[in-house]
Amino acid sequence: MGSDDSYNFVFKVVLIGESGVGKSNLLSRFTKNEFLHDSRTTIGVEFSTRTVQLDNFTIKAQIWDTAGLERYRAITSAYYRGAVGALLVYDISKHLTYESAERWLKELYDHADPHMVVMLVGNKKDLENLRTVPTEEAKDFADKKGLMFMETSALDSTNVEAAFNEVLTAIHKKVASREVTRGSISAVTLSSPLGLTREAQEERKGCCKSS
Amino acid sequence: MKYLLALPAVLFGFLNLFAKKVTDGPTEQNNPGWKLFGKIPPREGPLKDPKKIQKEYETKSGKAGPGNPTSPRQGVRKNLDFEPLSTTALILEDRPANLPAKPAEEAQKHRQQYEEMVAQAKKRELKEAQKRKKQLEDRCKLEESIGTAAQIWNQEILPNWSTLCTSRRVRDLWWQGIPPSVRGKVWSLAVGNELNITHELYNICLARAKEKWRSTAVPTTDTEGRDVLDSSDRESSLELIKLDISRTFPQLCIFQQGGPYYDVLHSILGAYTCYRPDVGYVQGMSFIAAVLILNLDTADAFIAFANLLNKPCQMAFFRVDHSLMLTYFAAFEVFFEENLPKLFAHFKKNSLTPDIYLIDWIFTLYSKSLPLDLACRVWDVFCRDGEEFLFRTALGVLRLYQDVLTSMDFIHMAQFLTRLPDLIPPEQLFQHIAAVHMTSRNRKWAQVLLLRRGCPSCRRSDPKPASTRRVCRSGSSGR
Repeated sequence: MGSDDSYNFVFKVVLIGESGVGKSNLLSRFTKNEFLHDSRTTIGVEFSTRTVQLDNFTIKAQIWDTAGLERYRAITSAYYRGAVGALLVYDISKHLTYESAERWLKELYDHADPHMVVMLVGNKKDLENLRTVPTEEAKDFADKKGLMFMETSALDSTNVEAAFNEVLTAIHKKVASREVTRGSISAVTLSSPLGLTREAQEERKGCCKSS
Repeated sequence: MKYLLALPAVLFGFLNLFAKKVTDGPTEQNNPGWKLFGKIPPREGPLKDPKKIQKEYETKSGKAGPGNPTSPRQGVRKNLDFEPLSTTALILEDRPANLPAKPAEEAQKHRQQYEEMVAQAKKRELKEAQKRKKQLEDRCKLEESIGTAAQIWNQEILPNWSTLCTSRRVRDLWWQGIPPSVRGKVWSLAVGNELNITHELYNICLARAKEKWRSTAVPTTDTEGRDVLDSSDRESSLELIKLDISRTFPQLCIFQQGGPYYDVLHSILGAYTCYRPDVGYVQGMSFIAAVLILNLDTADAFIAFANLLNKPCQMAFFRVDHSLMLTYFAAFEVFFEENLPKLFAHFKKNSLTPDIYLIDWIFTLYSKSLPLDLACRVWDVFCRDGEEFLFRTALGVLRLYQDVLTSMDFIHMAQFLTRLPDLIPPEQLFQHIAAVHMTSRNRKWAQVLLLRRGCPSCRRSDPKPASTRRVCRSGSSGR
């Protein structure tokens, strides 16, 4: 394994947010172009990858899809370590899932790199007639918190590709601006421009053990 | 001459031509070159029935095919020895009349090649037919043995449960898997009812749950958000259970809204949140309850459910007692290293920690990660041997896939283990589980666990200060 992929960077991205907002379906839409009406509950963490091309760089997005259950946070927050990007997902038809965004954000910054790229994602855009979270409200919140923002629908594919790609592009920009050694770097962190590979692995080691 | 092989899409031009001619009747035989009847997309127009093709083939090759060529289709179906598939019924024909005939030598060569090809196809199909026959026989044998086993369990073991349940013979039978018809009974007996839950108590809890749901039918507006007590209440809400029920064994389509077991699953989970409000509903429970429902009546399923969750390992996980969970992982790693040192080193090198795959496996008792029938077999022995078997199973899975895993990097391993293959050979897995030794330096699982539990410094000695700090925090808040 591994021989099939040649890439310049690995970006670890986490999917977080309340249970049932559609994290797993966003991921399967992005990595496999699949959508399951009754996907299975995620317990712990699941993984998926997709390789994308950004300005002559091949980037492998390693996406950690975490369980949304509040009680699991003690476990799942450990998986934020080493992530360079996050999609904080809520359901536009369930206001409670949006209200908890602030808590998720805090959790994220408590455990992850403060320089990470975070996008607030309002999923289930297809349920427009059931909407309880106005776009403007969420957008203002995202602006205030310095987050990127997008509304998506994993069901009809709206903006799924765009959301992930924007996050990956933003991460790439950050990495590039730090004049990272170009070559076959296997993993990336944002806070430490030197000795990246080792740092990244150290990070990951730490996070996994703690969980 | 032309060999037209296995590319139906490319061939349909020819085939249409053939089809027209052939349907005219077997008398017209001056068709061009080789002819192949492959899988033809249905929209390519009406083509021949494979049976007809076979008949034609038989008449042409001058042989009476399988059975009696004039016999009805049952005769052909019954004969497992040779039944050509439509994709391999190859017919040799002469060149069309508008082309010069083949030289005798070439025709002879082609005939020979043709015969070789047919012979090979026949051989292959014979092999496949034999394989099918063997599978059928195996299945019959399996069904028969399940029938016999069910009889033994019903007539001999269950009536004398307390005296026989620890006997060697019963333990061996147990390992081979409990027949589905007695599975529920055996699980109930093995899990026991330490909590002394009665059917009445279940009904009381259920009534209370229903009342609670009615009163909280209006979306909770009183959420302060940050409060831990409040959050556990929120989690037990109808909403979350409802959400998860539709995501429990979705492929079976029996637990979803409108399905036959939707209400039952709902009731058991709801009743449990009233029985143990301190635990509430935690994801993973729906899978456990569902498996029990498939094997037991509602109230008995509830009794087994509550007693199962009351076991130390399950309590540690469902209360998300982080430090205790880490203790379990640490004990697991002791046996991991002991049994599979190479793979253990590979995991270490790639920083793949057991929580990544064990959390899902332990929380759902493998019912989400293994095929259901296999999961039930794991449950069988879990009921016999207790929590240790859950970790032994994990090692069995790792042992079974050791070679594949050793060639993978972190992300591939993580992906593989959090989504195991759909087809896992049950016997092979159980052989690998059997090969796992649950002793380490003369210590058994419970002793190793106790040792790890007894010395919190074991964890602190690991060079990861930041995470340890976090662990301690969450450990204390969980209580």
